Amino acid sequence: MKRFFQILVLALLAVTLLAGSPGKLVMAIETEPVGLDPTLVTAFASHRVLENVYDGLLRYDESMNLVPNLAESFEVVDPYTILFKLRDGVKFHSGDPLTSEDVIFTFERLMNPDTKAPAATYYKEVSSIKVVDGNKIEFKLTIPMAASLLPNFAGVNSSILSKKFVESGANLQLSANGTGPFELADYVAGNYITLKRNTEYFIEGLPYLDEIKMMIMPEEVTRVSALRNGDVDLARINEPLSLNQLPTDRFKIHRNAVLSYYLLGINTTRGPLSNPKVRNALNYAINREMIVKLVAFDEGAVTGPLNPELEFWAMKPSQFSEYTYNPAKARELLTEAGYPNGFEFEIVASQRYSFDKVAQVIQAQLAEVGVRAKINLVEWGIFISKWRESDFDSFISLNSGSIDPDIQFNRTFHTGGSTNVFLYSNPEVDALLDRGRSEADINERQKIYNQLQKILVTESPIIFLYSANTLFATNNSVEGFRSLANESLIFLRETSKK
Amino acid sequence: MEFGYIIRRLLSAVPTVLLVTFMVFLAIHLVPGDVVDIMLGTQNYLTQDQIEELYREYGLDKPLIVQYGIWVKNLFTFNLGTSLRTGKSVTELLGERFPVTLELAVFSLFFALVIGIPLGIISAVKRNSFIDNVVRVIGLIGLSSPSFWVGAILIVLFSGVFENFNLFGYVSMSSNLIDNLQVMLLPSLTLGLMVSAQILRMTRTSMLDILTQDYVRTARAKGVNSRNLIMKHVLKNALIPVVTLSGIQLGYLLGGTIVIENMFALPGMGRLLLQVVNERDYPVVQGIVLFIGVLIVLLNILVDILYTVIDPRVELR
Amino acid sequence: MLKILRRLARNPLYVISLLLLLVVVLITLFPGLFAPYDPYKMDVEAFMSWPSWKHLFGGDQFGRDVFSRAMFGVQKSMIIASSAIAISALIGTMLGLISGYLSGATDLVIMRIMDSFFAFPSLILALFIIALFGSNMVNLVFAIGLVYVPIFARTVRGAALSLRESLYVKASRALGKKSLSIMLTDILPNVSSVLIVTFTTNVSTALLTEASLGFLGLGVPPPEPTLGGMVGQGTAFLLSAPWVVLFPGLVIALIVLSLNILGDGLRDILDPRINR
Repeated sequence: MKRFFQILVLALLAVTLLAGSPGKLVMAIETEPVGLDPTLVTAFASHRVLENVYDGLLRYDESMNLVPNLAESFEVVDPYTILFKLRDGVKFHSGDPLTSEDVIFTFERLMNPDTKAPAATYYKEVSSIKVVDGNKIEFKLTIPMAASLLPNFAGVNSSILSKKFVESGANLQLSANGTGPFELADYVAGNYITLKRNTEYFIEGLPYLDEIKMMIMPEEVTRVSALRNGDVDLARINEPLSLNQLPTDRFKIHRNAVLSYYLLGINTTRGPLSNPKVRNALNYAINREMIVKLVAFDEGAVTGPLNPELEFWAMKPSQFSEYTYNPAKARELLTEAGYPNGFEFEIVASQRYSFDKVAQVIQAQLAEVGVRAKINLVEWGIFISKWRESDFDSFISLNSGSIDPDIQFNRTFHTGGSTNVFLYSNPEVDALLDRGRSEADINERQKIYNQLQKILVTESPIIFLYSANTLFATNNSVEGFRSLANESLIFLRETSKK
Repeated sequence: MEFGYIIRRLLSAVPTVLLVTFMVFLAIHLVPGDVVDIMLGTQNYLTQDQIEELYREYGLDKPLIVQYGIWVKNLFTFNLGTSLRTGKSVTELLGERFPVTLELAVFSLFFALVIGIPLGIISAVKRNSFIDNVVRVIGLIGLSSPSFWVGAILIVLFSGVFENFNLFGYVSMSSNLIDNLQVMLLPSLTLGLMVSAQILRMTRTSMLDILTQDYVRTARAKGVNSRNLIMKHVLKNALIPVVTLSGIQLGYLLGGTIVIENMFALPGMGRLLLQVVNERDYPVVQGIVLFIGVLIVLLNILVDILYTVIDPRVELR
Repeated sequence: MLKILRRLARNPLYVISLLLLLVVVLITLFPGLFAPYDPYKMDVEAFMSWPSWKHLFGGDQFGRDVFSRAMFGVQKSMIIASSAIAISALIGTMLGLISGYLSGATDLVIMRIMDSFFAFPSLILALFIIALFGSNMVNLVFAIGLVYVPIFARTVRGAALSLRESLYVKASRALGKKSLSIMLTDILPNVSSVLIVTFTTNVSTALLTEASLGFLGLGVPPPEPTLGGMVGQGTAFLLSAPWVVLFPGLVIALIVLSLNILGDGLRDILDPRINR
């Protein structure tokens, strides 16, 4: 019995010692990285870790403007040429200095077809990369798209690698050597990832935290309980309703409008939905505000073809009459199209990211105008396989948006575009997309994309739905935490703990 | 004699285990969506040539039966391959994940026995009384609700009441025993409650079986102290089937903790299995299935040997 | 039958669970009589509303009445669980009879296959089947059914093995009766009591398996309500809207508990060893 008490006291001591060590931030994330090679990763969960370990030539600031990062400055010399001036005195975590050779190596590796890098498609118009004046790097392009290429340099996939490290045979999927504010200290798959402060980070005084421990907790109840219980300081919130359980005197909520958007994607070559009029009828029959309320608990906003957050480019959803819920009009259009009694079609959905819930609301709403949607709930791998083979009548999904409309529209709506699984083909749209990509004058570009947005709404190969806020919650000891519209967490470097 | 028995049992298990791995192999390759699909996700950045090259790299361009043959061939050199997604060796992954699942299984079984056996004894001795009914209902509660539901409720209750208790963040036993025990408490309790119902039921049935046998009745009639009788004679015999059941349940726990590992964010093998099935990381799926299969076979043999220790009358054949 | 009922009636615990199961059967047959609302109807007014007299179990995320959904959920879940176990009982009994009676090579092959089913996490097995054939109610029934085949096969085989050597089976054989007819007329009736017990307890486990699959997103596609699906999907709301998940969970717990108690009771009565 005495021994038992000894252990008990020890246990309590251990607990008090561990609780709230300053400088160490514990966060709960829902999914873990799949591979760690920044050039290769596609999973968002990998990006979230790597963006704090590696740096790109550019990065985003808080208002999503492109700012220099490893590049000290950058310049669009002409629509065919981009020039970066490399920052001096930057060191990799291994201690080796960053040189222009590393930059060249990184992009050559990225563009090499054998690497099979996801970002390679964006750089395919790059004709040459070379060093000028010792510390400047010049990108030459075959078409005048310098402005729309720039955002790619801030992506995780364009993080700068150490040539020496890679050539030493290191497996980048398992180990990391970047220039970022944190070093990868430990990664126990299925459990946690620990990042340690990079003491030689090129921005003096940053980062504030000594250590970040990202704990992988797939269940919402677990994450929220861990936050309430004090086991974690910061948690990703997937169900906005959980916020009710986090009293405002003890917790801070960080909500952020994001560029990604929910959509009902339609196979434009199958059945009744191959008729644009029918697709447009669905536009009227869907009550988007109701979806935002029921699925996202009002933590989101209705979006058109471009996210309203992109103030310069996007037309407001209210500018489209199709976005006003109008079942009568929907019926009228259906009758005109020859389906006075509605029709039946399939919505493919998986349980991830509440796809199944969005599908349920749409199913109920379409039933009101006599359209019978059957939800085909599938496992994620099957969902992807159906997506890739365009084997669906329609599906619910979440697309990542982009700062530049060309990146988002070209791959999605151009005939044969890389993510045009809707098999949508419209010569007018193709022509506009080609013009938009190579137009240098920004006001001209805006006109082109306005016209495109209007066509995309009336034709609706995709029914745009809404964009859900990203939600994080922290306890009061955490200061300076922010997340960005692209769901990036690079501001962990400016986060601190009392 | 015993050695020969073990060898024979092991050999006879080989076809079973191979059959399991083959069925799983077929199933996971036939399910739509392969590892490359999932790697690319809802993006499409590779040309058809590059994709075909990936299939070649992973050896997925060969006929299924050949792929399986290669896997079996590699087994003979104890080469389970490497994960297609992370490049880690399957053996290493198993080494990382299995101890967590094993610990969870052992603790759960411990709870199950500690709860199940005493309740079972009470319930048998007080058969059909009010106490029996109460005990049985309590004992069955853990088995009567979805384990993730019980787990979630326990999490909510505990995290609200014990603010300083370490509920999450698995650490290994060797690195910090106290943290480890704290983290393992709730998940093992959840699973333990579930298994305890079976233990209770088995203890009760087999106690009743023996209590009604003639020699016990005679002993009772002769006035042998009832408590002594139960402790010394009845219990010992009654526990034999409980041992078998524990073996079966341990096997079940080792293979079936997926949902609980997810709920409590434990980095165990079940969660890994679910993840790699979702990612179609074929070598890892195969490796885990093989491992669980072998484990269950070994466990069954162990149980049979334990039998002879508890009850010398039982002979291994 | 009556005799069994009379013996069950001696213990109030069995009476309570029998009555509960009777109600469950009634709900399964006529869910509409018990459900005050349309289980599919989305009503914004009831959106995540607390339990009240109007909505006994509260409203869910889509403003649907949780009580009405639970009633229809009982129906769907009971149909799924009992047809799944009926399938496994049918296949398992057949395999067990053949295996136990014929023994030898046939026995070896069948039991090896059954062993391999056992040596594999049942949830993943069900996941494969649903992934391969798509998730709808029929496939779900088959997926769960297949998982439980080995349990029946083993149980029946054991009984058949011992009956094989019994006097009357030997006599039948001597009279030139065919194997099939011996299996069906001499052995099957004698394993029926074991079957009834196994059936009862496994329907309860099947209900839980359905829940786990719902939790992993592989249950019956929405908007169909099943108890497992409701609990599985609702777990994320345990903190914020507990009624969405607690009530359906309690309904499952009550049904499974009753089935288990009844199973135990039947075992007590039907097991000749304990009944002296």
